Amino acid sequence: MVSTSAEAVYGLFNLFLTLGTLVGVVVGAYMLYNILRYKAKEDKPAEGEVSLGELPPPQGFPVKLLVSIFLSAAIVLSLIVGTFSILEYLESPPRDALEVRVIAFQWGWEFVYPNGATVLGEGRIPANKPVKFIVTSRDVFHKFGVLELGIGIDAIPGKINYYWTEVRVPGTYEVRCFELCGPGHGVMVGKLIVMEPSEFDKWYKAQGGG
Amino acid sequence: MTTSHKDVGILYLVTSIYFLVVAGVLALLFRFQLVDPSLNFLNAQKFNQAVSMHGLMMILFVISPLGFALANYVVPLQIGARDLAFPRLNALSYWLYLFGGILAIISFFQDSAIDAGWTMYAPLTAKSFSPYVGVDTGGLGVALLVASVTVSTVNFIVTIFRSRAQGLTIDKLPMFTFTILLTVLMMLYAFPPLLAAIIILLSDRMLGTVYFTSPEGGSLLWDHMFWFFGHPEVYIVLFPALGAVAEVIQASTRRYLYGRTAVMIAMAIVAVLSFLVWGHHMFNTGISQDIRKVFTITTIAISIPFDAIILSYIYSLVKAKIRINTPMLFALGTIGVFIIGGITGVFLGSNVLSYVLRGTYFVVAHFHYTMVGGGLLGLIAGLYYWYPKMTGRMFDERLGRIHFVVSMIGYNLLYFPLFIAWETPRRVPIYQPDLIFWHQLATAGGIVFGLSFLIMFWNFLWSLKNGPPAGNNPWGAFTLEWATESPPPPNNFPGIPTFSGGKLAFISTNGAAHGHHETHLSPYPFAVSLGAFLALAGITVHPLLLLVGIAVLGVSAVGWGRERFIAHEDPIGERWPFEDVDRVKLGWWTFIASEIALFGIVISAYLYVRTASASWPAPGALFDVWHGAVNTFILLTSSLTVVLALASAKADRKGMTTAFLAATVALGLLFLFNKYDEWAKLFKHGVTFGSSLPASTFFLTTGIHGAHVTAGVIALLYLVHRSAKGAYGKDNWEPIEYFGYYWHFVDIVWVFLFPLFYLV
Repeated sequence: MVSTSAEAVYGLFNLFLTLGTLVGVVVGAYMLYNILRYKAKEDKPAEGEVSLGELPPPQGFPVKLLVSIFLSAAIVLSLIVGTFSILEYLESPPRDALEVRVIAFQWGWEFVYPNGATVLGEGRIPANKPVKFIVTSRDVFHKFGVLELGIGIDAIPGKINYYWTEVRVPGTYEVRCFELCGPGHGVMVGKLIVMEPSEFDKWYKAQGGG
Repeated sequence: MTTSHKDVGILYLVTSIYFLVVAGVLALLFRFQLVDPSLNFLNAQKFNQAVSMHGLMMILFVISPLGFALANYVVPLQIGARDLAFPRLNALSYWLYLFGGILAIISFFQDSAIDAGWTMYAPLTAKSFSPYVGVDTGGLGVALLVASVTVSTVNFIVTIFRSRAQGLTIDKLPMFTFTILLTVLMMLYAFPPLLAAIIILLSDRMLGTVYFTSPEGGSLLWDHMFWFFGHPEVYIVLFPALGAVAEVIQASTRRYLYGRTAVMIAMAIVAVLSFLVWGHHMFNTGISQDIRKVFTITTIAISIPFDAIILSYIYSLVKAKIRINTPMLFALGTIGVFIIGGITGVFLGSNVLSYVLRGTYFVVAHFHYTMVGGGLLGLIAGLYYWYPKMTGRMFDERLGRIHFVVSMIGYNLLYFPLFIAWETPRRVPIYQPDLIFWHQLATAGGIVFGLSFLIMFWNFLWSLKNGPPAGNNPWGAFTLEWATESPPPPNNFPGIPTFSGGKLAFISTNGAAHGHHETHLSPYPFAVSLGAFLALAGITVHPLLLLVGIAVLGVSAVGWGRERFIAHEDPIGERWPFEDVDRVKLGWWTFIASEIALFGIVISAYLYVRTASASWPAPGALFDVWHGAVNTFILLTSSLTVVLALASAKADRKGMTTAFLAATVALGLLFLFNKYDEWAKLFKHGVTFGSSLPASTFFLTTGIHGAHVTAGVIALLYLVHRSAKGAYGKDNWEPIEYFGYYWHFVDIVWVFLFPLFYLV
């Protein structure tokens, strides 16, 4: 996978997708089978059918239902455990992470580095080094999203949110806004350029800043 | 104008279908834009209006009201009532709904309709980012809708608790009525938060308060308020459809649902849990990890009762004789697509997946699979199912089946590709070029799905005249609505229905004694709604309209009060647990429950921004404790005078009654005068709505309370006038008691506000 966050998030996604598809196919097929099997050929009353004005009779214990509930509870539990097991990792940036402030505004992205360097629209980070994004907004809600890298976190005015990742494959990735933020929402596209560490260092020093 | 539940149901039906067409056309408009991101068919501003109003209208003005069209028609029939508990209020609900929708549509013809998404996130909706007057109009339209919903919530709760046929205990309620009961119970607590949020938003926009624009306050205030409404709303939209589908399955198999009681319990669990899952809409907002874990657990866990519901629907098919017809096809289709919607919903309950999925088309695809698939298609199953009951005619079965096939193809062609193109951000007219193919498929599906509705419209219109007579019970169903003619006569049943013998019977009432005195007509619900509409429209259109509206409102409210309107209640019935609470009293209690929720949320909003703020003025620094203390004394005294007025009326001392009521008016006016004095002094010192968060919260919260006092004083003036004419005595003291509930409630609210704003 291209990044630690993508690996974690999409790995979990695949677990959900596998179990979800399995459940969906089994339940769907079971329903279809029963429809075809028990479809009435002609509309004649059959035994045990309720007639008009009858109140519901006392029912037997729905054993089948109870078993299914336990089954789905087990699946659900595994999904919750799966989620919690990577949550801690996903939300604990390493101490030595490069801290990049991402400031969203109508309609663009500003990246601010520890040395004070500020770039507009095109953020740059080193590959194979942990990077912590410190995300906020200058005006309305936005969402900082780089789907390919498994990155997504809200940019909210008056609030600071965090997300971290370590990208393994240098390249250019698309930054998009995923929260409606006005007419420019659709064109609020930026770039995150992941560079070889040595090249990044060169670039970073050239930015000077403070 | 009509107040009969059946007529009002038809009005709801026609109106919700009209809004369905409007909101559907909006969807087609933005789907055309999405055919190719390089198009400029809709510019960004128009695109945002189209998506925002499409969502807002579909949820608030189409699916929910369509469910209530069926509920209006069917619930009284299913429980053996002759009408809803308050027929005039029912008509009022309808007209408020219609006018609310018209207000929302008017906003398109002003500078801009709501353009910040149906979720209306602040601060994007603040005046500085969305300066359009149309947004105010749209907000007012939503407020009018909330009024409609509140009125019908009260009405349905009282009806279902008070008007059931003997022997029809809650656990034996027909499934559709049961889901409506749960729906209105959720509405009771879900809509006041929406109203509170809209009031605060409009106050920010119009009066200049700074709840959502102050950097000091909680940035997440709107999110919390909106989603506290927004998530229960999802189930509010869905439940009537689940109920309709259950009825169709039962009628098709002529058996009760498998595990019927378990299903009812599961539904009740969902209704309660629905209020504990809103945080999953805010997983990326930076709320604490522990809170997110709780919401992950509740959100994913809510799928368990849903599994129980859906699986029991499927188990109901096993070893049954399934009669396949149009309603059943739609019911089965609903279950099929809802399974996909439900499973993908579990993904969004995970606060890890939410990092990437939130704000993408995965969400769009998911909730269309639930809301359109589960909600709308389920209601269409219900519509086909009850059409013969409503019209007395059968629709064309072949056309119905064609509609099913075409709509299923269109539906899946529209929404499934959205899962594949999930990386598209929501609400963008321009998206990644590599996803064009999938969006084109979706648009093609949208056209097919949209056109498929024409088949149904044609079928229903054509069959109105040409369909074969349906008879009482064309489906061989067993609930009570099928035991009367199609369409049912004005009083619904040939006698008083009862299940006391274990099976349905009618107690003959021999004509005259039964039901010839009821009123089914009143012009006032329409007139009151028209007045409210004109007044609200006047706020953004022209002040003259505002004055006309208030005049119409005032005159018609008095007319309402004076009208002699007889609503019937059968002498016998199943009323647990409210055997000893009469209809009107239960109505007031329910209304006050919704008021408690409203003030609860407004006060919570205040506490939220106060705790989120770094500093807050010390008690007494900004607001004068004496003004507050005097008003506390005045208001508590006025509660006493209302109690004394009631006691005097019960003792038949009419002069005293009038005197105590008049004293209450005086105290109420004194309270308002003292408040005016307080506000005027604050304004003089430059403390205004917008000067700070402490000022904003103070003015708005005590202002809403003051508005309640004002409304109470106006009602009191009417009571004094009636009392002076000798209306209240030992035979008629109830109006004073009911008014007392409201007045005491308003006092109690003040008892909370006084310490919160002046003392701490």
